[in-house]
Amino acid sequence: MSLIRTEDVCKFFGTLEVLKNVSISVEPGEVVCVIGPSGAGKSTLLRSLNQLESIYSGKIFIEDELFLHRDKGVTVGRTAPQAHKRLLLEMGMVFQSFNLFPHRTVLENLLLAPVNVQNIPKAEAEADARQLLETVGLSAKADAYPARLSGGQQQRVAIARALAMHPKIMLFDEPTSALDPELVGEVLGVMRSLAESGMTMLVVTHEMAFARDVADRVLFMYEGTVLEDSPPAEIFTNPKNERTQQFLQRILAH
Amino acid sequence: MAKERIQQRRDWRAESAAFFLNHRAVCLLTATLLAACAVLGFLRPPMAKIRAQISPRFVRESGSRYSEAKVNLLVIGIARGRNVKTGDTETYVGFAGKIFQADLNRELDLKAKAEKAEKERGETVRAPLTKTERREYQRQKLLENVADIVLWIPPLLDGSKITVSLTILSTLTGAFLSIFMALGKISKFKPLSKLCSAYIFVFRGSPLLMQLFFIYFGLPLINPNLNIQDRFTAAYIAFTLNSIAYMAEIIRAAIQSIDKGQFEASKALGLTYGQTMRLVVIPQSIRRLIPPVANEFIMVLKDASLVSIISLSDLAKVTQTISTTSGKVLVYIPSIAIYLIITALFTFIFNRLEKRFSIYQ
Ligand SMILES: Nc1ncnc2c1ncn2[C@@H]1O[C@H](COP(=O)(O)OP(=O)(O)OP(=O)(O)O)[C@@H](O)[C@H]1O
Ligand SMILES: [Mg+2]
Repeated sequence: MSLIRTEDVCKFFGTLEVLKNVSISVEPGEVVCVIGPSGAGKSTLLRSLNQLESIYSGKIFIEDELFLHRDKGVTVGRTAPQAHKRLLLEMGMVFQSFNLFPHRTVLENLLLAPVNVQNIPKAEAEADARQLLETVGLSAKADAYPARLSGGQQQRVAIARALAMHPKIMLFDEPTSALDPELVGEVLGVMRSLAESGMTMLVVTHEMAFARDVADRVLFMYEGTVLEDSPPAEIFTNPKNERTQQFLQRILAH
Repeated sequence: MAKERIQQRRDWRAESAAFFLNHRAVCLLTATLLAACAVLGFLRPPMAKIRAQISPRFVRESGSRYSEAKVNLLVIGIARGRNVKTGDTETYVGFAGKIFQADLNRELDLKAKAEKAEKERGETVRAPLTKTERREYQRQKLLENVADIVLWIPPLLDGSKITVSLTILSTLTGAFLSIFMALGKISKFKPLSKLCSAYIFVFRGSPLLMQLFFIYFGLPLINPNLNIQDRFTAAYIAFTLNSIAYMAEIIRAAIQSIDKGQFEASKALGLTYGQTMRLVVIPQSIRRLIPPVANEFIMVLKDASLVSIISLSDLAKVTQTISTTSGKVLVYIPSIAIYLIITALFTFIFNRLEKRFSIYQ
């Protein structure tokens, strides 16, 4: 059983084809990293999975249930609304720009969705949220507003906020790209321990060291297609595709 | 959080201190004036003493039915005799323990007027005022003006009641309803969005004066059931409809200035559109809304003077009436002062609100 599977997903922005027949799958417990040059469609792929972008055609399966099936821009199949929402909430998303709610304290950021979307009693949700803040090392900041935190701390809060919904898979879209270099480590550290705890993760990243050490598989995307899908040991030492070679040479050069 | 609140309070204190330091001269002057007024006010002669001064002529002619202006301010006490037959008045000012009779030095008054008229005609002045006479005359005039201003204050305040209540009621209702108008305008449902745009276009694009006129005089002609009896209600409806249009644009701009990442994060967390607006977007827009809303509020405060066309007596109308009936233009000074005081008060409130909503910044 795969947690997420796509079949021939296509997506256009105007006339620009951003995703061309993308078929990927992520198994439970797996950490999959997506690498590739800017404009390859990595973000778009991630955002298509949790419906932030609507695809033009293709199928998305979540836990082998047909989550969405579109053809030529028309929805031809999807799960019933209740199940659809449940499946949607099985994906937690972490954005490049954190997107915390600035008018709410850290704790309130973590409580907002569980209380309002999942109708979890506040006391219960709060106990859970404090636990999560502890795992990302920010218990002390529970009552601070996001603007008072460093970028690294904000991103860790964003991870905790996504985890508060207890998703089955976490989608990361370049979670460290907006951070000062010295803050990258703390976020990657949290992601590493998350991976160790068995969380399924799909990570778009430019951090090759992270991909090499943590990923079970690495996807290389180029101009809307997945050109390579191999374990990190293989892709970093012996890339099959010429494009992958060029990209890695350029990235690893500095 | 508690810590931040305390910090907040400290900031506010520091700021007020800075304000007083920066406007030292004005603050000192105001404080001195207030203190002096308080002292002089305590020295105000009792009403009975003022009453005793009223000239026998008035008491006789009106059969001792002199009436007393209902002014009993801290600083100044006034008794005013009214002669029913001639419409003549006598004004007394009790101030700093003394009683002055304003307005009655007719001889001097007539003399001064004659002098002025002659001067204008370029004739030789036959009977110039002596130095003491002139000083006495000026003192009388000053007292008369002071007495006038004090007497005008109650009707002016009556007018302000209409101005202020109309402004507050219509901006509050308008602010609340305009949220829906703004959401309608940015809605993806085209007919609704078009309808809201059209509403905003009509009410922003045409003069408030005409809208008011139309609602009060025009609607009953179209359908007798639409006759709005109460003038204030008619004004309230017109002003509310108008401020919905203006505020909807303000709110729309504020909502659209919210980072789209906020919408995406909300959607990824499973919030519905309504929850996203209610819990995430609108609370964040409020702080950005306050300055333009304050601006709109002050505009409405001034536009409230338009209600005079449906014969409501707001502050501006009262002022104008006093000025035309008494011929004293001086009334504009207390009137403008009242406008400024109201504006200052609400500016202060809006500033506090803005601070309150920016704690998370
Ligand atoms: N909302 C949009 N409207 C139009 N074009 C878009 C939009 N979003 C992305 N694109 C285009 O789609 C292509 C893929 O974008 P995407 O953001 O998925 O790339 P990416 O692989 O994530 O790149 P990066 O590493 O820079 O984040 C790019 O050419 C981009 O310009
Ligand atoms: Mg991207």
